[in-house]
Amino acid sequence: MTGMKRVDPRRAYRMGSTGLRRIVLGESGAGDAALRFTSNQTDSRAKPLRSSVAATRWHIAVAHAYRGRLDDHAREAIAAAAILAGPEVGVLAVILGAYHENAAELGADKIAIIEDLEASRYEPQREEAVVQSFVEHYAPEHIFMPDNLSGDGDLGRRLIAKQKGVAATHVAEIDAAHVATAWSSGPVLASTPLPGIVLIDAGIVDTNLPFVGAGETVTPPQLPEIAERFRDLGLEPSAAEAIALEEADFIVSAGNGVSEVATLEQLARSLGAAVGASRVAVDEGKFPRSKQIGASGKTVSATTYFAIGISGAVQHLQGIKACRHVIAINRDAGAPIVKRADLTIIADAEELMQALITRVAQAREQTDATEANR
Amino acid sequence: MSAPFSIAVLVSAGRHPVSGVPRACRGDAVAMAIGHSLAGSALRVLHAGTEDEPSLKDYMAYGAKNIEVVPVREGDDAIAALASVLRGVDVILTGCKAEQGAGSGLLPYLLAEALSRPVIANALEVKIERKDSSFDARIRQFLPKGQRRQIACATPLVIAVHPFAPVSLKYAYARQISGQIEVIPLTNPTCGAPQPDWVLEKAARTRVRLKAQEKKSGHARLLSAIVSEVKGGVVAFEGTTVDKAQVVLNYLREHRLVDF
Ligand SMILES: Cc1cc2nc3c(=O)[nH]c(=O)nc-3n(C[C@H](O)[C@H](O)[C@H](O)COP(=O)(O)OP(=O)(O)OC[C@H]3O[C@@H](n4cnc5c(N)ncnc54)[C@H](O)[C@@H]3O)c2cc1C
Ligand SMILES: Nc1ncnc2c1ncn2[C@@H]1O[C@H](COP(=O)(O)O)[C@@H](O)[C@H]1O
Repeated sequence: MTGMKRVDPRRAYRMGSTGLRRIVLGESGAGDAALRFTSNQTDSRAKPLRSSVAATRWHIAVAHAYRGRLDDHAREAIAAAAILAGPEVGVLAVILGAYHENAAELGADKIAIIEDLEASRYEPQREEAVVQSFVEHYAPEHIFMPDNLSGDGDLGRRLIAKQKGVAATHVAEIDAAHVATAWSSGPVLASTPLPGIVLIDAGIVDTNLPFVGAGETVTPPQLPEIAERFRDLGLEPSAAEAIALEEADFIVSAGNGVSEVATLEQLARSLGAAVGASRVAVDEGKFPRSKQIGASGKTVSATTYFAIGISGAVQHLQGIKACRHVIAINRDAGAPIVKRADLTIIADAEELMQALITRVAQAREQTDATEANR
Repeated sequence: MSAPFSIAVLVSAGRHPVSGVPRACRGDAVAMAIGHSLAGSALRVLHAGTEDEPSLKDYMAYGAKNIEVVPVREGDDAIAALASVLRGVDVILTGCKAEQGAGSGLLPYLLAEALSRPVIANALEVKIERKDSSFDARIRQFLPKGQRRQIACATPLVIAVHPFAPVSLKYAYARQISGQIEVIPLTNPTCGAPQPDWVLEKAARTRVRLKAQEKKSGHARLLSAIVSEVKGGVVAFEGTTVDKAQVVLNYLREHRLVDF
């Protein structure tokens, strides 16, 4: 040994998505097997706490959860509260409805989950009273909420009207010093110093944080006995087929790989989903033009997008940018949709659809049976 | 047809978002159409501003015979002025968002607070029913993802109408000619809630996303620049078709995308 530094030929590497080796800089040691499979995971090392100082002042973020989760828009509101908090400022996340994730990774130091205030019910006065009780207790410097149509935008405006403070809605840009909104809905922004209550638009905050919050659970307050002035007569039962594609929450979409339209429609019905299609499927006359999704068709924002026999051309992917969960069925593991999809099944579309229809029917029966036994 | 309850719609100065041309704010015209379907010619149409506002002509073409202008100059509190005029009105309809200025959608909430009455937003359909001696509003509310909700509430109340409300707008030039504008004398405009001081920027620019500041070593920064973030998509090759169907179902259940 001469003591000269040499490059270890077996040093750690990752496999890139294109199949190329990428050497991991700064890490020593042999290219052991475990590292080869890390390409799809982001850094799993524990992130540091955002602040180790005890909080003396507070930021509050408020949002509804759906099916136990916060959507991206709501996550942005909590992340904004954390990013804009100084070391001595704590972040309280008030989550309305059942919640099964961990808001600490969004920077929340305290998490209050009010399970009873589900978004599916309309009880604005109770919600307002609960949030008001947190506001009185913590006296936050700023309150952050997502400006959406599913409850938070409404609740935020009620709080603003009650508190009579300076507030900003439809916020399109935010930082520690200012917020900005689109003036007269046009391209020019108008800005103002960061006000007390901030309702943010979607897509303005990066929720990838280099830190975590303390994530301590707070016992929610007793729900106040309030006689709502509104009588909630409930959600209308809506047939998935009747929902406009732009509004649908679950879409089963067919491409050139789907031979039997009837099977696809049956699958959509069994999953309670709306039906969409790629341009090729529409051009072939299998579906009406109104079902086309993509650049020259409709832009959809479903939570779940089930792409069956769709290759995933850019013009198609443009239409599904906002979809949270993409599941693909394709014969070809090299199709571009595989890169976009969260889950890809390599199989024949017709066979898999049949199997899935059977399996879903069984699963529904089982669930019904257990419900009946209760 | 004249309604036994009193009803008013608030219309704001509309501007085309691209050209800035004065026109009826679409959402407010939709609210006005709902008002007409409820009360016919008994509907009052109010605007807080000046009588020479050019977009008011457009509302006349959409069916407003007589527009009452509540004189409010820039800097005055429109909420207090409107509240003083609307105190006795049972049902107040508004749009969800003005086209000029910040378009905060706050006016219905602030007005309801000033009049201490309930407010409901994103109404698609409104029905007013007689209930004993008072009136009851039944509202079909817009929710995202194709959902709709039915809500009932006793009058008086404020209803903000969603622009998707199913109404047909009919434009008639003849009505634009025959319509009238009337200025309501206002006793004392008061100062109200503080408003943010919006400073208009000079030109359009791309918006800056808020991102957490990261204290990283130079090496870590380099890494994050060259290793693109790959989304953790799972690809299932193996197993029978039944197994694969189970994988899909497991995914749907794990992420609570289905309710069975
Ligand atoms: C200006 C312009 C605008 C466009 N706008 C749109 C648009 O709005 N929307 C849109 O969708 N497209 C649009 N396109 C077309 C787009 O480029 C693609 O041609 C189209 O999306 C492809 O549709 P597809 O994926 O259904 O078909 P294909 O590309 O033919 O893909 C079929 C896929 O199904 C798989 N497959 C085949 N048989 C089976 C089987 N039995 N089981 C399982 N998998 C199978 C194949 O492996 C393949 O991946 C546009 C194109 C242009 C130029
Ligand atoms: N100056 C005004 N005069 C009458 N109504 C208004 C005025 N400004 C706003 N409104 C109403 O309030 C709604 C919401 O406006 P805004 O809160 O400004 O976005 C509008 O759709 C109008 O119905």
